[in-house]
Formats: sequence, structure tokens, C-alpha cells
Amino acid sequence: MADIAKPRRFGRINLEIRDDMPMWQQSLAFLAGVAAGLAVSVLILIASGVGPGALINEFVVFIFTSPKNISAVLVQAGPLIIVGLSAGIAFKARFWNIGIEGQVIFGAIGATLVAINNIGPEFLRLPMMALFAALGGMLWIILPALLKLRLQINEIITTLLMNYIAFNFLLHLLYGPWQDPVSSFPHSQQFESFERLAPLGWQSLNMSLLIAAILVVFCFWFMVKSRFGFQLNFVHSNARMAKALGVRVAVLTLAAALLSGALSGLAGFAISAGIESRMTQSFFIGYGFSGILIAFLARNNPLGIVAVAILVATLMIAGQSLQVFYQIPFAMVQLIQAIIVICVAASEFFIRHRMRWVD
Amino acid sequence: MTSTPDRNSLTAECGSATDPAVPALALRSITKSFGDFIALDDVDFDLRQGEVHSLLGENGAGKSSLMNVAAGLYAADRGTIEVAGRPAAIRGPSDAQALHIGMVHQHYKLVMPFTAVENILLANPSGGFEQSLQHTRQLISEKADLVGFDVDLDKPVGALSIAEQQRVEILKVLVAGANIIILDEPTAVLTDEEGQRLLEAIRKLASSGCCVALVTHKLHESLTHSDRITVMRNGKVVETVLPDRVTAPDLTTMIVGETLVENRHQTTVSGKQRLAVRGINAARADGLATLNDLSFDVRSGEIYGIAGVGGNGQSELVEVLMGLLSPSGGDIQLDGQGDITGTRADERRRFGVACIPADRQGFALAGDLSVSDNFSIGGVLSGKFGSWARLDRKSMARETRSAVEKYDVQGVRSDAQRSALLSGGNAQKLVIAREFSGSPTVVIAHSPNRGLDVRASAAVHGHLLSARDQGAAVVLISEDLDEILLLADRIGVMNSGTIVAEFGAPADRHAIGKAMVGHG
Repeated sequence: MADIAKPRRFGRINLEIRDDMPMWQQSLAFLAGVAAGLAVSVLILIASGVGPGALINEFVVFIFTSPKNISAVLVQAGPLIIVGLSAGIAFKARFWNIGIEGQVIFGAIGATLVAINNIGPEFLRLPMMALFAALGGMLWIILPALLKLRLQINEIITTLLMNYIAFNFLLHLLYGPWQDPVSSFPHSQQFESFERLAPLGWQSLNMSLLIAAILVVFCFWFMVKSRFGFQLNFVHSNARMAKALGVRVAVLTLAAALLSGALSGLAGFAISAGIESRMTQSFFIGYGFSGILIAFLARNNPLGIVAVAILVATLMIAGQSLQVFYQIPFAMVQLIQAIIVICVAASEFFIRHRMRWVD
Repeated sequence: MTSTPDRNSLTAECGSATDPAVPALALRSITKSFGDFIALDDVDFDLRQGEVHSLLGENGAGKSSLMNVAAGLYAADRGTIEVAGRPAAIRGPSDAQALHIGMVHQHYKLVMPFTAVENILLANPSGGFEQSLQHTRQLISEKADLVGFDVDLDKPVGALSIAEQQRVEILKVLVAGANIIILDEPTAVLTDEEGQRLLEAIRKLASSGCCVALVTHKLHESLTHSDRITVMRNGKVVETVLPDRVTAPDLTTMIVGETLVENRHQTTVSGKQRLAVRGINAARADGLATLNDLSFDVRSGEIYGIAGVGGNGQSELVEVLMGLLSPSGGDIQLDGQGDITGTRADERRRFGVACIPADRQGFALAGDLSVSDNFSIGGVLSGKFGSWARLDRKSMARETRSAVEKYDVQGVRSDAQRSALLSGGNAQKLVIAREFSGSPTVVIAHSPNRGLDVRASAAVHGHLLSARDQGAAVVLISEDLDEILLLADRIGVMNSGTIVAEFGAPADRHAIGKAMVGHG
């Protein structure tokens, strides 16, 4: 035991709980977390045989100088933004929606139902598909939401299990009634041209990005500007207290859950009508967990979700070319994502604590 | 570093200290700052063997910070610590434990589903589980006998009352071998009677040779139950005095820097009946019946005080009145609205019912949201501050600033500051600012002075009185009999979930006390 009575030559670092941190410093800590995660990822990639030059080439030069790749990133980002918003809104109400994937599937089923059965006139076909997609997503979340609100049944379990039901129902449709009659492959027949999201006229961008942008504006309004979002903050903070203060917690939670389902459904619509032009058996894979990850990293902030979704999309696209040209397994891309998440989560420590030099 | 605490018997240990002239614990020139805020500024404090030493001061005066330095939770920026005359380095709670220093915090550190024995064993691990369970049980009963504690060792701690949980905490530090015992606001959560029992136990501890630092707000207990009193203000020691040389007003002056005495003033109006509660029966979520044919009524312009020992259904009554718990029988009538028994919390708020709950962090303030958000939620819900589509954040901030000023909420550096950063008294003032901003016609206040210092408590009482004078019907539910006697115009005594007796004010303290403990 050293004696603290003696004057010491060296000071020490005190760890203190921080009261508050200005927004710009928090953003800086976030960016530092991302940078640290990328730095570690670079080391891993170099260790697995991708040269530093090649990395710069793939991640910086290739992605950001080629319009084709920029558009590929943005196309990928569209649905990611939408599922990120879906997770963000549900999490804001402390409704842990793990069933985004199932809701995406039911969104796509809703859209495909309209397309296959030619419901509505041609000029209304796309809006009808979007509407049915939103309803499909809501249909797939309403049961867990009611079970939670009425019977306090844990929504993490129910929404998760609903994913499996949705997936098997999808397989039933694709191997059964909705199988493509032309090719006999297990996917639906291709959508007609008026059932696909129109291109925006630059590279491969299409309307799905515009839909994502509109939904971002809507969610920003809902969560930040409107009275609902204000009350949702209290539900997020402490639902029992919110109820005591006069917030209608059950109504708000149900609304947030339904909105989350609708957004996931619209993501299913954006993917099937914007990217795949049909319903396939694997288009949805990974979107559920990407949505959760994006909302977590962005702390449920709609604008943050846009930034993180673009980052994740960049990783995915760069990962694809690493896979093709350097034989790096796709698992490596997931590893990089995980490392970045851990680093950003760790950066929270510096937001909550202060290191202070004391002499 | 780890150390196995000495497990000698308490008396032998406490008696083993050396020269009685050498303080058992001495904190010298302790300075501690948090960022720019200086919590402790060159503070000296010592504890002699066998004494009970009270540490008095307002919220934020630095009492708890000082004790946290001694207990190894905070590292002092400067200063020295001596234990039994020898310089000591305390780098963490385990160092403090090795030096036989033990602290019981205001918020208990207990694992609720575990029994008392398991909790104490968890804090003092040794050997195999079954074996040490027996050993610990034996140690506990020795220590419990010594101080006269009676605790059910086999019930989950969560099922024990607050007072029993506190006893478990104290036994925990005793079993750890502590002879320098720090108690942070131990009586704040206890009733008169429980507090009295605790103070007697503390005296037994001291006479067995331990020394006790008693952090408190309460003047009378430091005057009657301690050997020395140290008063702190703004991070500095004001003075250390002997209790027989000072009076309560002297201490108050030292604590707040000015004299402050609260006086009763009775209501002058006799309004018409505003709230009538008739034959309420209710059970908690776990099925335990807690309210049993409870009835009372309150007129506008009066404070109806509900006295009683904690745990007799007070919390459930507040929940029933707020619309959070639906009663299984009986009804609640509100003047102008008729029967409101079946209405929700948000509807009752619209009818003009305001609430100051006992559990601020759990029921009144969202700690991670801003001061402005916490103040404005009431207004937003009643349709103020912009339309449903667009919140008017500017006017929210403006009204927050003027309320902060009007209600003298200290420590608000900006209206965007998180409300968790406010101290207890200021957080309570913020709650009151919000609850009273809607000009309520019924105010339900549950232990509004809990954890507040003299000045904050007087301010809170002033606001309750002015609400009453403006015609509100105030229901004051408190386990602090002094508070009830000071404020209430009529007093009902709650016991086993019902009102067993009613008194007009000024009431006889002994008669109320008798009704509080009567009926079994």
C-alpha cells in the first residue's frame, strides 16, 4: 500500500461519471468508435491476405470514385434505412421488435399478392402494392403487440418466432401456388413494368431510395417534431412513470409497433418491387438483424439511421467485391460489422465517463 | 488486492483499538472535485473510538462525498486518511473493508431475490457454499444479538420491509468485521418508531467499542443520539460541536447559514367537499389485499393529512387515487365530475388532479430527459405548447426557465440539462413546478419532504400551503408525523389499509401515535 500522505511525483488519472456531453463531442466519440472499428478491421483484412493498397482501392477509390458503385451503395442503403427506421420506432417505445424479417416477408407477400392478382388499375398498382405491403407488415406484428399489451407476453420471443412462421409460409407460396409458371423456379413470376419502382434516371437508382427518403422525413417528424415523439420519449424512459404522468402508454406502444410493422412491410415492398422485381426465397435474409444493428448504432435517431445505413451498405458492397476478387468469405464482412458495433458500443464509455488528470 | 476480513467477535475487535486519544479514523484536509465542482474543500473530520458522530448538512453539502472517500468509493484529490493513528491508503472498498471501515448507503445494495444470509455471504465470501452458509448464519446471529436486531434470515430480502432491509445492510458490514461504521441517512426511510429503534442499536454498537458516523438531515436525532456533531455547508466544515452546548435553532443557522423555522398556519376557509373516497378495497398486483374499506373526504382549501406507519397501504392509495391501480370495490367522487373510479390516469389529470409521488425517479421525473421536457410534459398532454403535429419547443424552454426561477430550482445550467443531475430537493421543486403549473384542484402529495434538507423541505411545504390557500384540496400522505402535524388541517390515521381515526388540528401527537400502532 502506498501512502497517500506522501507528495507524489506523478499524478494519476481519475475516472469520473460525466454529467453531460455536448452533442458535437458525442458525435466525435461515435466517429472515433467507427474509426477504431475500421482500423481493427483493416488489420484483420491485411492479416487475411488483402494488401493495404488493395483495401484503399476497394473501400475508398473504387466505391467513392465510381458512380456505378456509389449508386450500388445507395440502392443497398434504401431498404436498410427503412428497416433501421422500423427498428428505431419500435425500440423508442421499448417494444423489442426482433421480427422485422418476418414483417419484411409479409410486406413482400402483400405487394406480390396485388401484383399477381392484378388488383386495381395499372396506374394505381404500385400504390396498392405499397399499401398491401404496409398492411402485411402490420398484420405480422399486431399479434405480438396485442399479446404484450394484453397478457404481458414477451415480444422478443413472439416476434422472433413469427419470423419462422413467415419464412415457412413464404416457402409454401413459392413452391406452391405462387411458383413461377414460366421457369418453374421457386420464385414468383416477374412483376410487370408498371409494378416495378421506376428508375430515377441516374445509374441503377430507383424510386425505392425516394421512398426511403420520404419515410425518413416522416419518421423525423413523428419522433422528433410531433407530440407523439415527445410522449414516446417518456415511454422510453420509464413506461410506468409515463402512465402516471398521463401518457397513454398502451395506445402509443401499439401505434409504434404497428408503424414499425408497416415500415418493415414497406421495406419488403421496396426490395421486391425495386431490386428483385419478384418475390424470391432469400431476398430478405439479414435485413432483420441489420435493422436492429442500425437502430442501435444510431440510437434510434432517424437521421443517424440514414448515416449508419449508408455505412453498412458500403461495407456490404465493398464486401461483395472482396469476396469476388480476393476470395474473402462473406463472414468476414459480418465480422467487420460486428467489430464496428463493439467499438461504437465501447465509445459510450467515454460519453458517460471522463478521464481527468489529477496531480 | 484482497484481504480476508478479521472475523473476531465484535467486542474483542472494537476493544482492540489502541490509545483512546488517537482517533479511530481521521480524514485530514480532504479535497475532492468533480469537474469544476468542488464537492469537498479542505475538510477535516475524525471519529473517536466508542462515539456516535453526526454529520449534518443540507443536500449537496458534501456529507455523503466525504463518507464515500472514507469508504473507498471516491479517491480524494488531496488529503490524507489515518486509521488508528496510522496513515492509510484507501484505493477501493476492499481496502476500506480491510481497515474495518464499513458503510451503509442510502440506497441499499442488496440482491432482492436472495435471503439475508445469502446477501451477507455474497458480500463476505469464504470457503465452500453450504459450510460458509452455516458459518455466516452463526456470525449474523451473534452480531444481531449484540445490537438487538431481529431479522428473518430466510425470507427473500425483497419481501422484507425497508427497515428490515436496512438491518441486513448493517449486519453485512458488521459481519465483514467493520468497527468504523458509516450510516448514510439511515432514518430517512424509517418511521418514528423504527428510527428510534435504530438509534438505540447504534448506541449499543458505540458502547461496544465501535465508532459510528451518522450522516443525517434530522436535527433532533443528532442532538439526542450523538456525542459530537459536525456541520457541513457547501463542501466545508462549519463547526464541530457538542450536542449539549447547542440548540436546534443554532444548528439550523449553521446548516443553512440563516435561521429558518417553519410555523403552522391553519386554513381559514371552509370550502365545499371536493374529493370523496368511499369504501375502497384494493389488492396489489401480487394479490395481497392492501386497502380495506378505506374512506375519507377532502374539502377545497384544506390539507387532509394521512399519517401512518409505512407499508400500511399508502403507496397503493396513491396509485388508486392516480388511476394506476383499479380498486376492487368502493368509489371515488370528484366534485363536478361525479364518479371517477373507472377513469384512467390521463383523464384524472385533465380533471385537475396533480400528484407529487414519493418515488421521484420512478414516478415523477424521467432522469435521462431534459429539465424542459420534464417540466413541459404536463402542458403538452393538456394541449399546450403547439399543435399535435408540431411541438413549440421555444415556448417550452421559455416557460421552463420562468418556472425554474419562480420555484427556485437550483442547479439548472440550461433547460436542456438532464433532470437526473438535479439534487433531491431541486428535483422535487421541479416536480412541484410542473404539477402546480396546471392550477390543480386536487393535489396528492406522498412524503413530499423525503430526502430533502431543511430549506428545500420548507419551500415544498410553502408551495403546498399556497396551493391550499388558492382553493385546492390537498391530500398529504406522509410517514413523517412532524410534517403532518405541521401542515394538515385535518388528520386521518391509516392502519392496515384503512383510516382508523380522524383528528382535527392541532392534534395530540400521542393520540395519533397510538392510532398508528393500534389494531395490530
